[in-house]
Amino acid sequence: MTSEQKIRAFLFYLGVFIFFAGLPFILSFALGYKFDPHKFKFTKTGIIVIKTQPANAAVYLNNALLRDKTPLTINELLPAKYNLRIELEKYYPWAREVEVEKGKVSRFEKIILFPLRPHVIQLNKERLSSFWIDPESKLIYYLNQDDSSIYTSNLEGENYKQIAPFIAITPLPAGFRLSPDKQKLLYFNKHQVAIAYLNKQREGPVQDEPFVMYYPGEGLRDVFWHSDSYHLITISNKKIQARETRIDAPDVDLVNLSRRDSDVFFDTATDTLYFTDYQKADDGNLYNNLYKIGLNTKTFLLQNLIGTKDKENGQ
Amino acid sequence: MGNNPKIKRLLEILPGAISWGILFLLVALAVWQPVACAIIVIIFEFYWIIRTVYLTTLLALAHRKLYRQKNRDWLADCRAIDSAGGRFKYHLIIFPVYKEGLEILQPSLEALRQSHYPKEKMIVVAAFEERNPAARQTAAALEKEFSNVFFGYLSTFHPDAIPGETRTKGANATWAAKQAKEFLSAKNVSYEEVIISCFDADTCVDKEYFGCLSYHFLTNPKPHQASYQPIPVYNNNIWHAPSFARLVEISSSFCQMIESMRIEKFVTFSSHSMSFKTLVDIDYWPVNMISDDSIVYWKAYLFYKGDYRVIPLYITVSMDVAYSSNFFRTIAMQYKQKRRWAWGVENIPFVIGSFLNKNETPFLKKVRRSYHLLESHITWAIWAVVITLIAPLPVLLHRSFFSQVSIGYNLPKITGMLLNFTMITSFAWIILSRLTLPKRPPDIKWRKNIIMIMEWVIVPVVILILGSTPALDAQTRLLLGKYMEFNPTEKTREKQH
Repeated sequence: MTSEQKIRAFLFYLGVFIFFAGLPFILSFALGYKFDPHKFKFTKTGIIVIKTQPANAAVYLNNALLRDKTPLTINELLPAKYNLRIELEKYYPWAREVEVEKGKVSRFEKIILFPLRPHVIQLNKERLSSFWIDPESKLIYYLNQDDSSIYTSNLEGENYKQIAPFIAITPLPAGFRLSPDKQKLLYFNKHQVAIAYLNKQREGPVQDEPFVMYYPGEGLRDVFWHSDSYHLITISNKKIQARETRIDAPDVDLVNLSRRDSDVFFDTATDTLYFTDYQKADDGNLYNNLYKIGLNTKTFLLQNLIGTKDKENGQ
Repeated sequence: MGNNPKIKRLLEILPGAISWGILFLLVALAVWQPVACAIIVIIFEFYWIIRTVYLTTLLALAHRKLYRQKNRDWLADCRAIDSAGGRFKYHLIIFPVYKEGLEILQPSLEALRQSHYPKEKMIVVAAFEERNPAARQTAAALEKEFSNVFFGYLSTFHPDAIPGETRTKGANATWAAKQAKEFLSAKNVSYEEVIISCFDADTCVDKEYFGCLSYHFLTNPKPHQASYQPIPVYNNNIWHAPSFARLVEISSSFCQMIESMRIEKFVTFSSHSMSFKTLVDIDYWPVNMISDDSIVYWKAYLFYKGDYRVIPLYITVSMDVAYSSNFFRTIAMQYKQKRRWAWGVENIPFVIGSFLNKNETPFLKKVRRSYHLLESHITWAIWAVVITLIAPLPVLLHRSFFSQVSIGYNLPKITGMLLNFTMITSFAWIILSRLTLPKRPPDIKWRKNIIMIMEWVIVPVVILILGSTPALDAQTRLLLGKYMEFNPTEKTREKQH
């Protein structure tokens, strides 16, 4: 046997030995088994996976501090109930009892540690009556009743600037809607809908001064923009109406509601109105149904619809 | 028994059936028994890593031998054992040629001329296919340049459509060897005094090759009961070849070096040498099989009842990396070449069938060699598929289940850890590949060195496309009885400036 053949034979048998000696450990680790030297047998264990926001928090398992910090995986835990506590300085601790089952992974990956004293940052630079955040454009809209102006800034309060005049409504707005073309902001309370123009129209006889539309006694619940950024869909306790955004435009009844607390949703992407309402059935009982009206038309088609409704109302 | 057509057919089906059976079983387990599949994958990966480390060590040892024997004056060693030079053997060198032109053949013959071995002991046969219309012209050009250089120089033209033959390299080489036999008889040269080397047309031998071969032949107590296998490297155009083609061929060279260390499994491959007497005794190469290079070994093995071996020669013969003018043609070319190599699976019905034919090879040898053959072809076909495609299946198909159990959490960690371990072996392969690389040609920029190191990143993709897939393809064809035809690899060599 040459020296190379000897080396090769040694390597071969070493490889065979490593394979058969290492395989039980690798498989037991994979399957979650732990060798218990006291009982001299493999016991199936479980795993706890912990992720926190923020990370680097201390972990106590049955009151014993673990060496590693979050994010952390605790392997080879014998099946039992454990007291898990997570601590991070200046944050509220998180604690709970965890049951580890054999062969299973207990995942705690959505732990948020809330600060004891949150860091509060003032964003407005002027007086503030109300505000609204548009997540899409990542802008904050500030309404200031004192100087009748709308201001904007980014989400950090930077680039704070006055952008448009604003008419105050009382009580303060209960909701805001930015028009799909981002040119107009509507805000409303129970009896008023106000429109503010964020950019002056450059030309044409298009209204660009803020104005308020009144809905006395209507009990407005919500207002939506049509995708044309010109029509509004208003939802009150009694009616679903449509109207143009001009001060002298009439309101057109789309639906007279039988129930005061109907659920209403207007999908601007498809200009489709969904609402629930009662309807009397043949058996004389009232049943709640979900209805849909497609308003996904060009403006003139919407006007046709409004016209049809007007006729119906006239009848 | 092995001659029984049904048995032969069964043996043809066997390797493909086992390979596909393993793959289907693993996929089925991944779907219905994911934990069982995951366990098998872990066992296979662990086995594969140990095997890779083991084989890489063998590669390093083989490389060390190659490096140590580099520049050794083998002729001086021959003279040391035969001071009179009377025992110097004749070397018969056959180049089976299909469509290769002068640009391929001329450097191969020039390498023979530059060889240190006495030219008066060399007979060269340029073996053309008669069906190649350019053959006569090429032959004439080569004869003009080389006919007076060697003891003998023959141009042979293998007739097409000889009954019993298929269009294979073995048929051409056999025709050429028979022509050479007549030449040797006419010159009163005993066959026992002749060592035959059958080289691919693009093979450029080392200057010391025939000295090294002669030394091993002269010092072998049973010189006729052995084939002599040099280390094939693909250095002729390696700097100009595309990345993946280069990687494939380097891997092929390395596999051959590894095999050279496993003598009991070693089988001849591509360009190799053997006793001419033995070649005549076993009735030459097969004339109707594609894998003539390995079948000729098995014919000799069976002829000598298992007392026949392959002696590794730690000296290189350099060939061309197969590549073409564009990327996809090169992939197709490489794929076909590897499929042709993988068609060596036809050895299984030939060898096991012959073993079953009351061949007097010892029983244990029959079992061992049969097992080695089957194991090597099946592993070739499945390993890359298992590691790259099947290993992630259990977790992908049962993500929710695996997120809740220990094995699901540990499987990617173990797989990652084990496969990262193979990175170490990859570094060894990169270093060794640099050591076997020829000098950078002047027309190649220095930065190519960086590219040639970085390109190892694509090895997993290359292995999947050009490793397992051609082998599975070849086995499936044999399984279905769709026999392959010999498809010679087109060789491209750029002019060096």
